[in-house]
Amino acid sequence: MPEYCIPLDSPVPKAYGEEIEKRIFFVSSEILDFNLKIEDEHIHQVELVTQNSIDVASFTEKINFVVTNDVLTQKIFAPKVVWNSQGKREYEKDLFQQLLEKGIANEAAEGQVSFGEPLISLMNLFDRKIVEIVKSLYNAQEYQYPTLIPTQVLDKCGYFSSFPHMLMVATRFHSDLDVYKEFAQEYREKQAVESSLLKYCQNTDYCLPPTMCYHTYHQLKGKTLEKQVITAKGKSFRFESRYHQSLERLWDFTIREIVFLGPKEYVLECRQKLMDATFKLVDELELDAFCEVANDPFFCRPDTAVKIFSQRMMELKYELRMFTEPDHTISVGSFNYHEQFFSDNFELKDSGKEEMFTGCAGFGLERLVYAFLCQYGLDRENWPESIRRETDEKSQ
Amino acid sequence: MEDNRSKIQKVLTPYLQGYNLKEDEDIFATGLINSLFVMQLVLYIEKEFNITCQGEDLDMDNFRSINKINEFVNGKQVAAGN
Repeated sequence: MPEYCIPLDSPVPKAYGEEIEKRIFFVSSEILDFNLKIEDEHIHQVELVTQNSIDVASFTEKINFVVTNDVLTQKIFAPKVVWNSQGKREYEKDLFQQLLEKGIANEAAEGQVSFGEPLISLMNLFDRKIVEIVKSLYNAQEYQYPTLIPTQVLDKCGYFSSFPHMLMVATRFHSDLDVYKEFAQEYREKQAVESSLLKYCQNTDYCLPPTMCYHTYHQLKGKTLEKQVITAKGKSFRFESRYHQSLERLWDFTIREIVFLGPKEYVLECRQKLMDATFKLVDELELDAFCEVANDPFFCRPDTAVKIFSQRMMELKYELRMFTEPDHTISVGSFNYHEQFFSDNFELKDSGKEEMFTGCAGFGLERLVYAFLCQYGLDRENWPESIRRETDEKSQ
Repeated sequence: MEDNRSKIQKVLTPYLQGYNLKEDEDIFATGLINSLFVMQLVLYIEKEFNITCQGEDLDMDNFRSINKINEFVNGKQVAAGN
């Protein structure tokens, strides 16, 4: 594999290393691996391993653009933990490898993992527990949404300007007999579907949803609304490039989402109540976790730094992080406050024509199960009694 | 200890639409300023008072009101020996 050393325009303080590491694979799919070259507390170069030979000048420009635009404009915040669980656990080594070897999980494709029991029962149980909390706290309405989401909805959510790197589009053939005939002819000749397939696909009306709450704003668009809480579970899709890993970072995963709409105080109170109830559940299960201030993965926006700064400073986003190893955590849930961003774009107003405030919480169900098993292992006998009782014994 | 409150008030005034902000009032609770303004505010404070805000400094409690910003700036200036 070709290897290259890409110089940075100027040395970058080591503290920015994590922010650079989060973005390198999104610079180009040619990049198979990378390493930050650090000397004297500064990053001087990015070492790359690529799939094919690359134009070094072009990659130097791309990497320096991302470092200058998305990283160096940021201010580095001290981590702010708002809650720590009481549980301190031993960790199962190589859990994902165990799941693969036992045939419980299978890597279907990049960022896509299929799995069986006991993961299915655990996922359903954790989802039920979250829904029970949500229904006990609020008079929440539950909805089932389609998998596809109109492209214009993502547009209104600002997805194309904030997270273009994660977008997944669901297209189809341009609906015309000549197109089908031409494609069929090409397929007969080549007996393979190549990237030229895209030339027959002109429809861009639908995408795969990156989260469930966008469906909710679309559902309520332009309506006169009471304060309310809505919940939905569904498949969500985010292109994570080569950052995909085991069950902890997938391109295709399941979210349980809860959306809060109403006056500012109501939305913030709803968010806090759900955080408190979630922390209680995590403690009841004696899981090792904490909750901290976080930000979304904005990319290539002219104001990436401003968006990240406001989320962290104003504590607009919290993440519940669970340990999968003694020194490694994954985010299993987030608790978000959007001010009036979605109300502006979807005309979410109350009977007095006042714009509503919104917030949401999302739980990654595969991640929750994965973190639970990393902490408790696959042997049912070691699981908390309540989890054993509420999952089918045949699921082992 | 220097009183920087008038300088801080000056940067906020254009955003307050005539609202008379009290010195101990939560700037962001007025509803007149959204969260995207906060970085602009911090950068202004850095430039105007020749200080650097990083790590633990970047806590909303340091920037919530005119009085809080004044206390924070004074603390930074004292620490820097200004």
